Amino acid sequence: MTTGTDPELLSLCGLDDGWLDRRVFWDQAVYELELERIFARCWLFVAHESQLPKPGSFLTTWMGEDNVLVVRRRDGSIGAYLNSCPHRGNRVCTAEAGTARGFVCNYHGWSFGLDGTLNGVHESAAYGREPTFDQARLGLTPVARLDTYKGLVFATFDPDAPPLRDYLGEFTYYLDVMLDNDAGGTEFAGGSIKSVLGCNWKIAAENFAGDALHAGWTHASGAEAMIGRGVAELGADDADSYHVNAHGHCWEFNLDGVGNAATLGDKRIMNYLRENQERVAERLGELRARMVGSISSVNVFPNFSFLPGQNTFRTWQPKGPHRTELHTWVLVNRNAPPEVKDAWRKGAMMTFSPSGVFEMDDGENWELATRSNQGVVTRRQRLYYGLGSDTAIDHPELPGNVHRGQINDANQRAFYRRWSQLLRAATWDDLEKTR
Amino acid sequence: MRSDVTDRGCRTVLCRLADVPPGRMLRVVTEEAGPVLVANVDGTVHVTDDTCTHAEASLSDGDLEGDRVVCPVHWAEFDLASGRPLCFPATRPLTVYPAAVEDGHVVAHLAPSAQEASS
Amino acid sequence: MTSAEVYWEVHAFLAYEARLLDEERYPEWLDLFCDDAHYWVPGVENRGRADTEGSYAPSRMAYFDDTLDDLRRRVVRFTAPTAWAEDPATRHLHVVSNIEVEDTDTAGELLVRSVIVNHRGQGDIDSATLYGRREDVLRRTPEGLRIARRLVVLRHAVLPAKNINTFF
Repeated sequence: MTTGTDPELLSLCGLDDGWLDRRVFWDQAVYELELERIFARCWLFVAHESQLPKPGSFLTTWMGEDNVLVVRRRDGSIGAYLNSCPHRGNRVCTAEAGTARGFVCNYHGWSFGLDGTLNGVHESAAYGREPTFDQARLGLTPVARLDTYKGLVFATFDPDAPPLRDYLGEFTYYLDVMLDNDAGGTEFAGGSIKSVLGCNWKIAAENFAGDALHAGWTHASGAEAMIGRGVAELGADDADSYHVNAHGHCWEFNLDGVGNAATLGDKRIMNYLRENQERVAERLGELRARMVGSISSVNVFPNFSFLPGQNTFRTWQPKGPHRTELHTWVLVNRNAPPEVKDAWRKGAMMTFSPSGVFEMDDGENWELATRSNQGVVTRRQRLYYGLGSDTAIDHPELPGNVHRGQINDANQRAFYRRWSQLLRAATWDDLEKTR
Repeated sequence: MRSDVTDRGCRTVLCRLADVPPGRMLRVVTEEAGPVLVANVDGTVHVTDDTCTHAEASLSDGDLEGDRVVCPVHWAEFDLASGRPLCFPATRPLTVYPAAVEDGHVVAHLAPSAQEASS
Repeated sequence: MTSAEVYWEVHAFLAYEARLLDEERYPEWLDLFCDDAHYWVPGVENRGRADTEGSYAPSRMAYFDDTLDDLRRRVVRFTAPTAWAEDPATRHLHVVSNIEVEDTDTAGELLVRSVIVNHRGQGDIDSATLYGRREDVLRRTPEGLRIARRLVVLRHAVLPAKNINTFF
């Protein structure tokens, strides 16, 4: 009955020819395996360092379906722990963000320090008489490893995962377009917006990984509202645009410099980008300087997406095979003028938030693309992912797997190939062999 | 800290005042009263028991907030001048010892009679 | 306290406004705003009581933080024939209740508090229901009452919906 370990499914019979098995969006067994082999193993985005400005700053988030407490410790380092008391399992932190001295479980008063250690308990005399009670071993369970890349904090539950730098690999070349285009680095604007989509998390992630195609159709009305005309056609034969991917991380883009940013309809943002273009070019080179606000979208495997230009950063948190919780933030350069930062906060809100004129038209597509797979016969019909089958190129400057043309399914295929490799591989070593 | 403690009759020299600048706290282990807390509130020195009356934590690891000490484990708060518990989960007062600054040193009366007098 | 007459006038105004939104008469709805209007629906965060930062703030992310021009932009999308998610039409229901009316220090301006329930039926089986508290400043103009300022604080930290394809 279970299809979760069906080798044919997990190798996605036909992906190389451009076909995808719909069961990846529907089966509970596949979903359970994703939690084990992707979300409990991969490096996952958990915070931007700016969200944890001082010792005691904390936030709670998800790694798969595991709730995690991310904390700035007294020594200034960042820690992340399962947000679950080792006594009876209750959450020890019930707020989504804030500042705390430590965390006391509401159930029986077990008290944990910012470093996750059990500092004390209520009715301590009773525990003191108990030879089995070893306070030193009853701290919050930490993640296996935590590391940062230029302000972004990632964590993994898997002690055998490769180092974060290797996990990202040559994709850091592209990440620097957003994270390192200014000497001051980046920060998140205040707050976060969370919403719920009735879709499989991968439908959203693959959209950001490569789906430039939908922009001109799905978002025609949003473009009309923000720039007074439709999205420019992106698929011309000679379009200077690309699908690039490495280790399942995907970035689709053209080199128009400001196409995404223009949809925010705010001169302050356009002026900021233009004024900085030369400095960015000195920093990152001409090519990457033209990616900073261009028509583009990105997914860092598995579920961390963003849009250069609109600067919406987001995670697609899995909540079962047919449900996704969307968390969004806005990235700005720390040294940008306050009015420019605020323009981005508002611009992301106007375009890519639940009330945004672009995002408004995504949700229904993704929900119905998930739900249709409920039909057993529908589910037998494979989906077409064949665009750009012969677009792979060698590029003198761009690292990773490079494909010419933004109207392409190359990144989506790379996303599902990585997904399928991880699901089939019992260990990271096995994963290397399945390449 | 033990080596800092010197007996002078019924009074105990706990530390140098310079060891506890305003806004800071220090734990001193004494023969007479066990671990005590020396706290400097804007130049006024208070000496109390260091162990929280709720669950055995060392208050010196907590936070000094104004004239209150906040326990590091369950955030119980005590008024340092009177030892009075200010919030859940503490219910019993903290023992307060008469203290003074003499010749740049913090000196306290830790004798049992002094404890009773203060509580 | 205001007079029963003023209270009734405000009540009728809010009921009319809610019906315009139910019927998606967006251009007429925009006419109910002052030129200098501010329309704010902040994101709500699940923070502790002792947290001095509060659950929402002007500097943080919002669902709406709009001038009248921003609202007009949104209406352009709603009324575009390519707004796919609007067809078939959403079945809107805007409920306004618990209305309180107070005079303010500014002549001709009223502070109006209310509770809103916003229900949307979409497609065949989808629906979303949002709850919030609303605080309006209504201004008397030659054309009648107009909205000068609106704050809607939703009762959700995680929005139980995929989008907000409506106004409150």
